[in-house]
Amino acid sequence: MISISDDIITRTVSRVLVPFIQIYALYVIMHGHHSPGGGFQGGVILGASYILYLITHGLEDAKKRMSELKAGLLSTFGILLYSGIGLLCLIMGRNYLDYGGLSTILKVIPAQARSLGILGIEIGVGLAVMAVMFSVFFDISTGGILPEDEEDLGVNR
Amino acid sequence: MEVTVLVQAVYKAFEILEKGKNSEKARDEARELLYTSAKFTSETKSLTEKREAKALLLSAKKSRLALRNFFLTFFILFAFWILLSGRFDYFHLTLGGICSVLVAYLCHDLLFFNIRLGDFRTRARRFFLAGPWFMGQIFSANLHVAYLALSPKMPIDPQIIRFNTKLESDISWVALANSITLTPGTITIDIREGEFFVHALDRKVAYDLNTGEMEDKIAHVIMEADHVYIQDVLDVASIFGALK
Repeated sequence: MISISDDIITRTVSRVLVPFIQIYALYVIMHGHHSPGGGFQGGVILGASYILYLITHGLEDAKKRMSELKAGLLSTFGILLYSGIGLLCLIMGRNYLDYGGLSTILKVIPAQARSLGILGIEIGVGLAVMAVMFSVFFDISTGGILPEDEEDLGVNR
Repeated sequence: MEVTVLVQAVYKAFEILEKGKNSEKARDEARELLYTSAKFTSETKSLTEKREAKALLLSAKKSRLALRNFFLTFFILFAFWILLSGRFDYFHLTLGGICSVLVAYLCHDLLFFNIRLGDFRTRARRFFLAGPWFMGQIFSANLHVAYLALSPKMPIDPQIIRFNTKLESDISWVALANSITLTPGTITIDIREGEFFVHALDRKVAYDLNTGEMEDKIAHVIMEADHVYIQDVLDVASIFGALK
């Protein structure tokens, strides 16, 4: 189990950096249709900010910000957003993920509907990737066993 | 703890009186002992009272502090977003605002963690005033290291020095450690509970560090109270000069 870091420099600098990493990740997600980047890359950066927090501040503190339950819910919500937008296009009589069909719902021209549709897709991908990245790291760092489980499983005996 | 000290003092005083057979000198000695013990206990009591009052004040300020931290974090993050994005249409600015609010909500206790209330503007002014001083310091240290590297004898004298700092908060420790590392010729190796371990390239650099000028500057910028620092005295000196 990862405990809080002894080094005060690492701890303080990472504490100051985490908000900037997160806003940069959101920038990468939101500008994915104009510039390099997108949902996956932004999601990885967002997950990395939480992993940095976990490494420097330990499991106890990190669980208050992002628990396994939250990560699971966010990953499913991201996939739901992705498939929901795709299915909405299907319902509007277009192909799956053909965002042009959203123009009647959003009341904008098809080109703008495509731009907004891809933004929604990227937000969904970003959330899912962030949550999965975090939960993968969480599982590796705990070995799949949480401290409260240890008594039940008899690991320490 | 105070009670045991007092009881012990009284016990000792009676012992002295018994030994000295109630003479004048023994009586004076016992009185002195009782007096110092009483003074000591009253001082510790007032100290704990002060600490309790401070804790009360802090908890009252905490909610206000959280709100202020939220807004400060929001503005800094939004400025960072605009710097990154460079698009000024309503759509992207709104997106930036939403993202900044989200991150500020998630991280308002991370960016400003150990900072006191009410003196933010002064600190910002001092921070920008201290910039040129640091630049000058780094420039002169650069020249010195270049001289060391270029002179044929290469008169280096590497050494690890350690010193206790009078700074108190973790953010000021990190600021001092990073400014030491930023200055050529010195590297901070470790901080252990306020004790700095610094690798210095030669004796002059180590001496400069030991004078504590940089420490005073950091204390001045971050506004560590409870001590009088050289820079504060210099500030006050100009005011006194004007009054004269």
